[in-house]
Amino acid sequence: MQVNLDKTFPIAASGSSAWKFLQDIPGVAGCMPGAEITETIDDSHYKGAVKAKVGPATMAFNGDIEIVAIDSEKRQLHLIGRGQDTKGTSSAEMDLTAWVVDIGNSECELKGEAQVKVTGKAASLGGRMMTQVSDQILNQFGKNFANNVMALGEGEDAEEAREELAEQPKELNGLAFAWSVIVGFLRSLFGGGKSSAG
Amino acid sequence: MATAEEEVSRQDALQGIGCSRKRKEDPRFVQGKGNYVDDVKMPGMLFADMVRSPYAHARIKSINKEKALALPGVHAVLTADDLKPLNLHWMPTLAGDVQAVLADEKVHMQYQEVAVVIADDRYIAADAVDLVEVEYEPLPVLVDPHKALDPDAPILREDAQDKDTVGQGPRKHPNHIFTWEVGDESATDRAFEEAEVTVTQEMYYPRVHPSPLETCGCVASFDKVKGNLTVYITSQAPHVVRTVVTLLSGIPESKVRIISPDIGGGFGNKVGIYPGYVTAIVASIVLGRPVKWIEDRMEHLSTTAWARDYWMTGELAADKDGRIKGLRVGVLADHGAFNSHAQPTKWPAGFFSIVTGSYDIPTAYVKVDGVYTNKSPGGVAYRCSFRVTEAVYLIERTLDVLAQKLGIDKAEIRRRNFVKPEQFPYQTALGWELDSGDYHTALDKVLAAVDYPGLRKEQEEKRAKGELMGIGLVTFTEVVGAGPSKSCDILGVGMFDSAEIRVHPTGSVIARMGTITQGQGHQTTYAQIIASELGLSSEDIQIEEGDTDTAPYGLGTYGSRSTPVGGAATAVAARKIRAKAQKIAAHMMEVSEADLEWDIDRFKVKGVPGQEKTMKEVAWAAYNNVPEGMEMGLEAVDYYDPPNFTYPFGTYLCVVDIDKYTGQVHVRRFYALDDCGTRINPMIIEGQIHGGLTEGFAVAMGQEMPYDEEGNLLGNTLMDYFIPTFVETPHWETDYTVTPSPHHPLGAKGVAESPHVGSIPCFTAAIVDAFSHLGITHMDMPHSSYRVWQQLHELGLDKRT
Repeated sequence: MQVNLDKTFPIAASGSSAWKFLQDIPGVAGCMPGAEITETIDDSHYKGAVKAKVGPATMAFNGDIEIVAIDSEKRQLHLIGRGQDTKGTSSAEMDLTAWVVDIGNSECELKGEAQVKVTGKAASLGGRMMTQVSDQILNQFGKNFANNVMALGEGEDAEEAREELAEQPKELNGLAFAWSVIVGFLRSLFGGGKSSAG
Repeated sequence: MATAEEEVSRQDALQGIGCSRKRKEDPRFVQGKGNYVDDVKMPGMLFADMVRSPYAHARIKSINKEKALALPGVHAVLTADDLKPLNLHWMPTLAGDVQAVLADEKVHMQYQEVAVVIADDRYIAADAVDLVEVEYEPLPVLVDPHKALDPDAPILREDAQDKDTVGQGPRKHPNHIFTWEVGDESATDRAFEEAEVTVTQEMYYPRVHPSPLETCGCVASFDKVKGNLTVYITSQAPHVVRTVVTLLSGIPESKVRIISPDIGGGFGNKVGIYPGYVTAIVASIVLGRPVKWIEDRMEHLSTTAWARDYWMTGELAADKDGRIKGLRVGVLADHGAFNSHAQPTKWPAGFFSIVTGSYDIPTAYVKVDGVYTNKSPGGVAYRCSFRVTEAVYLIERTLDVLAQKLGIDKAEIRRRNFVKPEQFPYQTALGWELDSGDYHTALDKVLAAVDYPGLRKEQEEKRAKGELMGIGLVTFTEVVGAGPSKSCDILGVGMFDSAEIRVHPTGSVIARMGTITQGQGHQTTYAQIIASELGLSSEDIQIEEGDTDTAPYGLGTYGSRSTPVGGAATAVAARKIRAKAQKIAAHMMEVSEADLEWDIDRFKVKGVPGQEKTMKEVAWAAYNNVPEGMEMGLEAVDYYDPPNFTYPFGTYLCVVDIDKYTGQVHVRRFYALDDCGTRINPMIIEGQIHGGLTEGFAVAMGQEMPYDEEGNLLGNTLMDYFIPTFVETPHWETDYTVTPSPHHPLGAKGVAESPHVGSIPCFTAAIVDAFSHLGITHMDMPHSSYRVWQQLHELGLDKRT
């Protein structure tokens, strides 16, 4: 089961500060709801964990993250994450390319292209919602990322961003998340959404 | 002289052949008093659960059991390495291949068994499964069978890579299993070259799963002191299981007892031997305690025997009047990761060569290639005698395509090609001898019952208004009752079946058979056969099956073989008893045997009214007053090796209306006429037909086991897998004709599979017929609303004007 995602997140900060934050791998991982870097092996290899709780089911993925390329000129990052859930019934893989584009007025955009592959029970049971779930996770990610970049700065906006980040739950919040997935799914029925299942 | 009325009442009292006697099984089932494998509880019983692969194709780098073993209540975690010293990490399949019991270095399909955990209860076992750490290295996955034989295709079965054969003839690629050819290729090619008309139709018969109400499971109990092994198991063939267990374990067959208790539906899914059975048995032998293993629904749908997955091309050569001159068929068969198809050993594609159907086809040629893919193994299950469903689907569909091309009515083209009543027994071009049939009568009866010309007229009118209505017609011939031991065996054991009947002194009876009921109602119908043959009331006849310690050896129940083979054995054994009873009766009345005649339930002296002995009286005498030199008692056993298969047939007609905007198919009418020869219990036959039609509806309209490119099985939960309820199921109308089998002692043929085999192409035919005026010749199953809508959309019919 593979999903291709193509996302753009606006950030009210300069491209250079966004690029700076994009290279902070544990920081970027922390933007992913429920995810964290558990071990830094070297500059381009990390171990990470993702935990998601929806209703009574908890899925915890442990995996490896490999930074394939960092291109400062293009302000582009390419990483591959591979993981297996701790129960051994599912696995997930993500190939992500993310880059920062200045759009002037000291604002920028974070753009991302990702292929997410899921196998096992997660695909059998969750396959039909995978596009929506991935989409929601990335939306949350984009929001956190923008807040993190803005928090690097000074002033009112930065303060607000820091506050929002502090309130951010550490785990992927089950019910709220399920709700946003359902809303996203309903929207997609009426022609919204850029992502496409492959 | 007995009055006619008195004779009728004696006849009725027997509740014999032809009586719609109520099922003797039902009182216990409707009261929740059945005894299924999962109801079996034994002192000290442990539970087994499986660690399964999330990957379709991967190398196992390591398995760490430590955390699982540390969990209190866990007794053992077994992997292939633990089974290796016993040489049980692989097991032979019924198709001559081998299958991994627990994955040996590699996994070949998603949900493959990697390790088994044995614990105090099923909850601890499930927790421990989560704690077993398996490290995998994913490998390229092969899902599309069309790519299996590519030079650069990933090699799946490294264990078989260098083998010239995996049990069914030469191979041409490491992913190739067999090539199976039947018929005269050059004569068939010639028929096509010389034909006035030819048609070709490609079609895919999807992978489907019977998903019976009860999943598979067993309780294995090894007695370390006596060295005896007892296994309660969901098996349609308990005696075969016993032989396989002995061959695998070395325990003498006399010390292995296999019990199939009540079974909640089989449909072929419960013929094979599964890794869960083997590991539960091994665990019980190792631990000296009973071990229970029961699948959940996902495990059941993901790993046990499914059906079909045939990519077929049908070609017909004909003259311009639609008379068939030749049939050519090519099949690519996706067998999954192991060739564990349950079928007679020498038949790589089962009885697919019945593909000439009900038609007088002078020459035919069939070629089937089987390949490995990273999907679950199994096959041939699902209410079909070994690929007959595919065969009937192909010929019925292709014949419709020919009719469409020539502009001949679909009923008329069948009539022109039918084997005629006077041609029976009829030799088909592919080697079968059809025993009996009267196809014209069956067709005419159905067409009259539904007012076929009226339906065609209505269809014309609807088409003029832009509405979609379709009429499907199928005139199938089945082959059931495997089978003559000269051509059919399983692991070398001929496919006979058996019955042992004992008449007690007071005239009640116990009878045991080598078959095993799973819903067919054997406890009811076998008693009726004995009642009619012996003149004893079926109420006093006890039928027992499924315990290998008591029942005579038999090959089990599948492929509609119980009545053709087990039923024949029962009749023959009963006749042996009657022959002995006749001698005793003659002795009792001091006349010669030849002076006696049989009358319903008694022997009468010809021409001497009142001189008679009932079978009950004879039974008593059998235990105290037999002729000199005769041994006491009244019992017989018969192992029946059928001289031929039986060939039930039928005509099915389906009328559908299709909503142009939603693609929803409404089955307005379904008329099923079946001819299964002599009818033993009409009510049970009707029940079987209702069940088979409903399963056929399920397959045609919604069931499939789809895999994505990664080899993820996407249809293995009941969220996705279609099981029709009363809400979706159409109303069934049933009818029959009776054309007895000339070689069966009772003239009976099998019936349970006919409605499945016959109805599936009938649904497809009806739906395609609704589109036939628009040039559509075929649509692949399942005919879900979405897929039908796609066809409507493609044709632009869904636009509102």
